[in-house]
Amino acid sequence: MKKKVCALLLSAAMMACGLTGCGGTDANVGSSAPATDSKASSEASSEAPATDPISNLIAATTGTVELTVWASEEDQDLTKNLIADFEAAYPDVDFNITLGAESESTCKDTVLVDVEAAADVYTFADDQINELVKAGALQSVSATYTYDVATSNVAGAVEAASVDGTLYAYPMTADNGYFMFYDKSIFTEDDVKSLEKMLEVAAANDKKVAMCVADGWYIYSFFKGAGFDMSLNADGSNSCNWNEAGGTDVAQGILDLFATGSFVNMTDEEMATAITEGTIAACVNGTWRAATAAEAWGENYAATKLPTYKVAGTDTQMSSFSGYKLIGVNPHSDNIGWSMLLAEHLTSEASQVARFEARGLGPANINAAASEAVQADPAIAALAEQAAYATPQRVGGNYWSPAQTLGQILSSGNPDGTELQELLDTAVTGIVAPVQ
Amino acid sequence: MAKTMKEQKSKKQGNYFKDFLQAVWKGDIWVKASLLIMGAGYFARKQIINGLLMLALQVAFIFMMAVYAVPNLSQFGTLGTVQFEQVFDPLTMTSTVNDYDNSFLILLNSIISLFFIFVFLVVYIHNIKNVYKLQVMKREGKHIPTFKEDVRSLFNERFHITLLSLPVVGVVLMNIIPILVLIAIAFTNYDQNHMPPNALFTWVGFSNFKSLFTNSVTVTFGYAFGKVLSWTLVWAVLATFTTFIGGILLAKLINSKLTVFPKMWRTLFIIAIAVPQFVTLLLVRNFFGDSGIVNTICANIGITDLLKNIGLVHPNLTYIPFLTSPGWAKVMIVLINIWVGVPYQMLISTGILMNIPQDQIESARIDGATPFQIFRHITMPYVLFIQGPSLITDFVKNINNFNVIYLLTQDVYVTTDQLLANSNAKEVDLLVTWLFRLTNEYYNYKIASVIGILVFIICAAFTLITFSRMMKGDREEVFQ
Amino acid sequence: MNAKTKKLFSKIGTNILLALLAVIWLVPIVWLIVTSFSGYSGINVAHFFPETWSLKNYTAVLFESDSVVQYPVWFKNTLIIAIFNCIISTIFTLMVSYTMSCMRFKGRKLLMNVSLILNMFPGVLSMIAVYFVMKSLGLTNSHLGLIIVYSAASGLGYLIAKGFMDTIPVSLREAARLEGASQARIFVDVILPLSKPIIVYTIISAFLVPWGDFVLAKLMLNSGISTDWTIAIGLYNMLNKSLINKYFSIFCAGGVLVSIPISILFVIMQKFYVEGVTGGSVKS
Repeated sequence: MKKKVCALLLSAAMMACGLTGCGGTDANVGSSAPATDSKASSEASSEAPATDPISNLIAATTGTVELTVWASEEDQDLTKNLIADFEAAYPDVDFNITLGAESESTCKDTVLVDVEAAADVYTFADDQINELVKAGALQSVSATYTYDVATSNVAGAVEAASVDGTLYAYPMTADNGYFMFYDKSIFTEDDVKSLEKMLEVAAANDKKVAMCVADGWYIYSFFKGAGFDMSLNADGSNSCNWNEAGGTDVAQGILDLFATGSFVNMTDEEMATAITEGTIAACVNGTWRAATAAEAWGENYAATKLPTYKVAGTDTQMSSFSGYKLIGVNPHSDNIGWSMLLAEHLTSEASQVARFEARGLGPANINAAASEAVQADPAIAALAEQAAYATPQRVGGNYWSPAQTLGQILSSGNPDGTELQELLDTAVTGIVAPVQ
Repeated sequence: MAKTMKEQKSKKQGNYFKDFLQAVWKGDIWVKASLLIMGAGYFARKQIINGLLMLALQVAFIFMMAVYAVPNLSQFGTLGTVQFEQVFDPLTMTSTVNDYDNSFLILLNSIISLFFIFVFLVVYIHNIKNVYKLQVMKREGKHIPTFKEDVRSLFNERFHITLLSLPVVGVVLMNIIPILVLIAIAFTNYDQNHMPPNALFTWVGFSNFKSLFTNSVTVTFGYAFGKVLSWTLVWAVLATFTTFIGGILLAKLINSKLTVFPKMWRTLFIIAIAVPQFVTLLLVRNFFGDSGIVNTICANIGITDLLKNIGLVHPNLTYIPFLTSPGWAKVMIVLINIWVGVPYQMLISTGILMNIPQDQIESARIDGATPFQIFRHITMPYVLFIQGPSLITDFVKNINNFNVIYLLTQDVYVTTDQLLANSNAKEVDLLVTWLFRLTNEYYNYKIASVIGILVFIICAAFTLITFSRMMKGDREEVFQ
Repeated sequence: MNAKTKKLFSKIGTNILLALLAVIWLVPIVWLIVTSFSGYSGINVAHFFPETWSLKNYTAVLFESDSVVQYPVWFKNTLIIAIFNCIISTIFTLMVSYTMSCMRFKGRKLLMNVSLILNMFPGVLSMIAVYFVMKSLGLTNSHLGLIIVYSAASGLGYLIAKGFMDTIPVSLREAARLEGASQARIFVDVILPLSKPIIVYTIISAFLVPWGDFVLAKLMLNSGISTDWTIAIGLYNMLNKSLINKYFSIFCAGGVLVSIPISILFVIMQKFYVEGVTGGSVKS
């Protein structure tokens, strides 16, 4: 007898779950809906003389255009203003643009969990582009409407925004690389040419020089500087020859630097505090720390390209990754057209100038970068100097964790005394491992 | 013991189906009609509302099968074949998407469908048995309950059904179905190269389990798994026992007759745990940072140099690597966990200690036992007896103690074991933090699922063994 | 040395030991509080006590919302989620624990074993599947969804409450039965009034869940819009690499503010907590 009511309840449960089911199918319908929509609108537009896509788009748009934009926390105010300009540029269209905060450096982590739920337009650092493209999270920039992305931006930025020759994103800044900040009252312009010399001077002044060596992004500069390669394969894995003959000299060079006691491994956050506290007088970092350094060192604030360091007795110029911040459009967006126009607007010459003026970020736009104000900025000038030795960041996901560990071991002085060749061999094995 | 239980169980299962077949065999035309139309048996016994409800259930089920279960289950074998494709038309600025398959949704919906079908079958079988029971009741001239009586019984002898229905639906939705989905994922190739909606994934059998237990030339999952597992177990034992013993000692100390203002002390310790854990842990992480405040103080008063001299800190370092070298970090994590856990345990122990039979302690004291002996031979066994079962759950909780490890080491700790690094693991990782990082940063869902299943097996085995040892006899009846 | 002075010494010793322990336990809390009053917004690594004192972190947290700090909104969000979670979870837990403790029916043992096993599956892993279940219900990025995620499976946490109900003498229930009370009546009129400590314990622990969870909340509320967040996500976000140097002392102020109501709740309910947790296993 119990069972009957049990059954009854189960039926209720089932109905509830039936709703789940409906929800599921609904979601499917939802995602395929744009397809039918677009078909309808393309039929509609084929009747009209389709010479100007933007006026086509305005004509085809009915109701409110819902868009979500992700920009970094620091960029919120600026982006809000730029969005307001965008809305004003199309007075006939009713927009509802929501601005969310998502750090450029970790954007991929949020986007890839659920591409469909990610923002329509989002900003990210160029090292994530391969994984984003692979996961289908970027709409290719197959057409431009308000300005030509490929020719207006510096070649390096366009290359960084492309995968296999296809442009997938809109360059926003060209300043995401690293260089040397220093305190002019301690180092002369000659001192900063060689890292060994800098450490000597620093030691004499009871200061330190900092670099985040325990990080794949920075340790690359030592190996690449000495002519060793690390690059991305088509399948997402890496090629790396750091363990070939001479590699151990680089590792020994890094160990020697740390052995002086004046060279310290610090993360970006720690450097910010250390600069303010005055414990370090120079550090390898990027434009995002320019404000901290400028504030702490005042008129003694200076920046330049990376110095040389000694590999088996020879002065070797350190290389670096050049870095760019990009804006991408989510192909799962319901309003791809408007998303692309917004992305173009956020990366236009005027917007890049505004971004430099508001936050000191180096423009990727050729005209914007050529302006006097930009040229006069010490951090951006240092980046330009370093550009000759920088390489674009083309790295598969398996690089980071082994390289970070290698850096951690070297920066703590190889405490277990492992053979350097063995260290490099193991690191390279991890770096070139196939993608899981 | 186990064997007889198993036999009983299989006998029970035998009965389950035997009863059903018997009902079908001996049932009259109405019972047999219920095989096709579920409400039939009720209509015959004038239980109209019950019959209608059953009919509605059946219709709903058939509808569900047609629009939901069948389309999904038909793709369950392949998990989808049509890859996502999109064509962008630059002139209209719109894109066209094909009718693609989403492997994850197919998997999820198939599992929900299978779950429904299972539930329906159970209901179906019970329905037949029930209808047969009604037939027997009618033949014997017993009173057949009206619908009103049925409803009333839901608040009396069948009150448990009323009480359990909603919580069970919740658990099924938020717990059982997700777990089934993840168990299924362990047998697929769902990873960064096969991420829906843009790519498909499919079944791969046991190959993920194989790759976790073997070291290929390039992938060191087997090595990492062994390392992480052993630290997980060491951690769980240390964390459970240190907080347990520490809590009892602290409670003893506070409740000692020698202590003045016991209430004040207790409140002070409670304040430390009243601050949300993630706030204190994130704070402590910065407190003990490589260039944090503790390091500054230690360097100023010479502790750093002292530790260097006795070899606890590597001579190349200018700081104490509290949370950045493997040895230091492990010790610190256990210590910080004591800091977080002992006040809780102190609260619980206080309650238990108050209930210790005082006569035993008194007589022991008269016999000349030292306080330590009393603690060792009377207090501890008593507390252990009361707290034994919760110690086991604590142990399992510590195996899965995500918060403490994650908040203290994420972004701070860099592994120096290259083989671990090659598998994205760290020395201080528990299995759960490792699998979290594998999913959250590397999207390696397949390996993470395998690890999850193994964690589950370890915890289940441990619990079953200790519980059966500890709970001789059924204690729950003793106190009633 | 006579017995009296010996006793005095051990008395002093005990209290000094306690004072030392209390200092160790309170140092980080004191650091939290003093940093929250710091005039410097980053992490001060050189001095324990701030060099300049200021209330600006509190005014920033309470009155000056920017895109990073939306404290009042987060507080409201978390409070709403906590209240609903607390109601649903408490009801579910009590319903299940009464059933398991006071009723005997076929399948009871099986259900208890199944729940024991379900509790052992690492929740961190099933999160992603929970997310997609909620997404197909259209409940991601909504507080309702988060309430469901927190409370739906709360029935599994019935063990402590059941343990407590096990200690309520069975004779009380039998007496009620003889007077013709139904099970529902016994549950409401006999068992619930006697279970006050464990009800309070269940309420508090359910209430505290949303204040401390950031992993699940961050996954479910992934729109990136900070006004949707709970306190835990917001505070965790302030310690992002790019934000920590600007927001560390604001984080501390936010931490202090969230701790005040929780501490008060905790200290007042301490009595119930102890009774509830131990009452389940102690014969009273």
